[in-house]
Amino acid sequence: MFISTFKLTRRFLIGVSCALLLFCTSLSYCRPVFAAEIEYIDKILSRGYLNVGLPPYTTPPFYYNEDDGALAGYDVDIIRDFAKHLNVGVRFDRESKSFNDLVRRSGADDFDMAIGKLGTTYKRMTNAHPHEYMNFRHSILAKRKAIANLQGDIPDSEFAKVLLNSDITLGFIGRSAYETYANSFFPNANKIGFDTWAECKEALFNGEVDGIYRDATEIKKIVYREPTLSLDYVPVLFEDIVDQKSIYLSTEADTSMASILNYYLAKEVAIKSDSEIIAAFPEFYKPLSLRSSQSSSKTPS
Amino acid sequence: MAILPFNTKNFTFSIQDVRRFLRSLRTVKAFVFFILPTSLLLGLFLPNAAETLNSFGLTLIQLISFPAIPLVLTAVVISTFSIFSLSDSAEKEFKFTRRLFVSLVLLILFVSLFALLLSLYQKPGVLSPEGRLSIGTYMLDVTDIRLTLSTAAAEVSDPFEWAKKILPNNIVGDASRGQTLKVITGSILLGWGLSLLPKERSAPLLSIIRGIYDVSVKVLDELLLIAPIVIICLIAGAFSSINSEIIVSLLNLTICMLLASLASLGISRLIVKRFTTSAEREASDVNPADSVFLLGLSTGSSLACYPTIMRAMEKMGRNCSHSEAAASLSLLISRMGNIIYNIIAIIFALNLFEVRMTPGLLIQVLFLGIATGISAAGLNGVAVVPTIGLALTSFQLPIPPVLVLLLAVDPILTLPRAATTGVLAMAITVISSDRDPEQTCNAGSYEGLS
Repeated sequence: MFISTFKLTRRFLIGVSCALLLFCTSLSYCRPVFAAEIEYIDKILSRGYLNVGLPPYTTPPFYYNEDDGALAGYDVDIIRDFAKHLNVGVRFDRESKSFNDLVRRSGADDFDMAIGKLGTTYKRMTNAHPHEYMNFRHSILAKRKAIANLQGDIPDSEFAKVLLNSDITLGFIGRSAYETYANSFFPNANKIGFDTWAECKEALFNGEVDGIYRDATEIKKIVYREPTLSLDYVPVLFEDIVDQKSIYLSTEADTSMASILNYYLAKEVAIKSDSEIIAAFPEFYKPLSLRSSQSSSKTPS
Repeated sequence: MAILPFNTKNFTFSIQDVRRFLRSLRTVKAFVFFILPTSLLLGLFLPNAAETLNSFGLTLIQLISFPAIPLVLTAVVISTFSIFSLSDSAEKEFKFTRRLFVSLVLLILFVSLFALLLSLYQKPGVLSPEGRLSIGTYMLDVTDIRLTLSTAAAEVSDPFEWAKKILPNNIVGDASRGQTLKVITGSILLGWGLSLLPKERSAPLLSIIRGIYDVSVKVLDELLLIAPIVIICLIAGAFSSINSEIIVSLLNLTICMLLASLASLGISRLIVKRFTTSAEREASDVNPADSVFLLGLSTGSSLACYPTIMRAMEKMGRNCSHSEAAASLSLLISRMGNIIYNIIAIIFALNLFEVRMTPGLLIQVLFLGIATGISAAGLNGVAVVPTIGLALTSFQLPIPPVLVLLLAVDPILTLPRAATTGVLAMAITVISSDRDPEQTCNAGSYEGLS
């Protein structure tokens, strides 16, 4: 009885050992196919997906949810395509509290990278490493009367300095790059930071601010969607003050992935201007019907 | 209706028939039944030719404008000389000068007040929601303010820049550069200088100037034969290129200007009736105000009305110098069509930006409308439109969107504007010129133009 039990146990143990040996051998043969010598990338490959931070907002056509809830947009596509080149999937993290918080978390290694039309500032560069992929003009959607009052008979060629040094009341998204830009470019303006872009627009239309400050794709979108606004509000475009939009990486990620990311951005994406984006996504820059206008007003973009 | 320039039976063709045919197109009937339908049909069926037609029209306008500068120069010199010296009786001339200026001031005030009241009633800038949408769509991208920090160092502003734009520095140079305003001020100085010389010394130069003047009037009158072709090309080009939604949206503005123009015709007709004798009126088959109005309307040029005004004055037996002085002054400097247009345009802008009307503001509108209208002296066509910028700046209203909209419908509004200037210049000439058959223009000098 004892002998037969011992034989059974020995056979079982030998079988298990053989199976383990076979499994380990197969693993050792498979591993070189997925492994990368760069440790950080190897970690991503092992994980099977890119962990990407995205702002907690909705900003079409860059990142937004389709009717079925699926995430879509230009920025989302850039990341998905990059992930495809690495042969991994993507997992988006939208838990950051603000744009600045997103960049900070990216620098703190909470994700592999952060994207979402993030502007580049010195402050942000102390937290994470930027990689440029879009280049938009700074813009203000301003009340025509406020601008006329300020401009008088000053020609446009000399008006930029007057406007930048003026004491207009300027609204922008708080804790965003535009808060930093406003402090830097509009030293004398009355600056008000709002939680969302929708609140900024509401403040402009209620007369709380003289203008709202963001990049040209967002400013032009407002008047394209509601052309009647063109009578009372005017887009002011700063041709030579540009907002460099970047993908942010932590130091560790940047050390390991800067080359591959830069190569991908240069070869597959190319730096886009605001005009190119507007031309590429006409469906987001055309007048809204009354119904869609009402629904979009609820979007905290 | 117009007679065709050839015989349909045996196809004989003569220049005189062509001239007669083209001249016959300068009537209301021809404008309504031939010019307008032809232009609209061309615009409708040849939309791709809009640019070519417009370019051809502008080329012909350049040709018609050829005698303008010598005409302005010589007419102003002769008028100024007439005002300062021509009469033997200083008292008589003083009466003419006083009558001319008083009638000018009173008529300007009257028509300005009328334009103000009309535009307050018509509310040219109050738009329907559809109109706001059309205009908003039209203004997308066009009125954006594009600023750069890296501009060249700003030029030092010159407080007397405006004076430099008006005062002449070389009358021949100014004339060759087409700077009408400088030519006018230079000619006034030249006329004044001539009046200070003894008659025997001023006579040779005056005779040359009058010769240039006569030939300019003659050439202008001949070139005006092609005016109907010009207007067909311009209307056809404008019809296929102007956004029809914009025309509909700005219909109130267009109607307002047309009404003001028709009212000016009425005022001028009344003045002609009131300030002429029945014998003078019998000299013409039709009220000369009608002919002047139509010519202005069909050519879009108030200066083109000058020969017609002078011809009418000659037929009435009016003092030639007085007529020349009054007609040239009111056609070149105090252009009432521009004043009326500017007042309507300012009210349009105030309506557009929902500015509350107060009595003080209306007085400002009146004053600025007159000032900017007179400041448009020497400017033609679309160049008149930006003159309201000064008024908009003083009301702290944005200039670009207003100008964009006004320029969009200017190909249409420029016609009643020119007709208004022409017909009110006719009224001023009738009021201020003396009945003096002995001092009428040299026999047939204008009559021969017909």
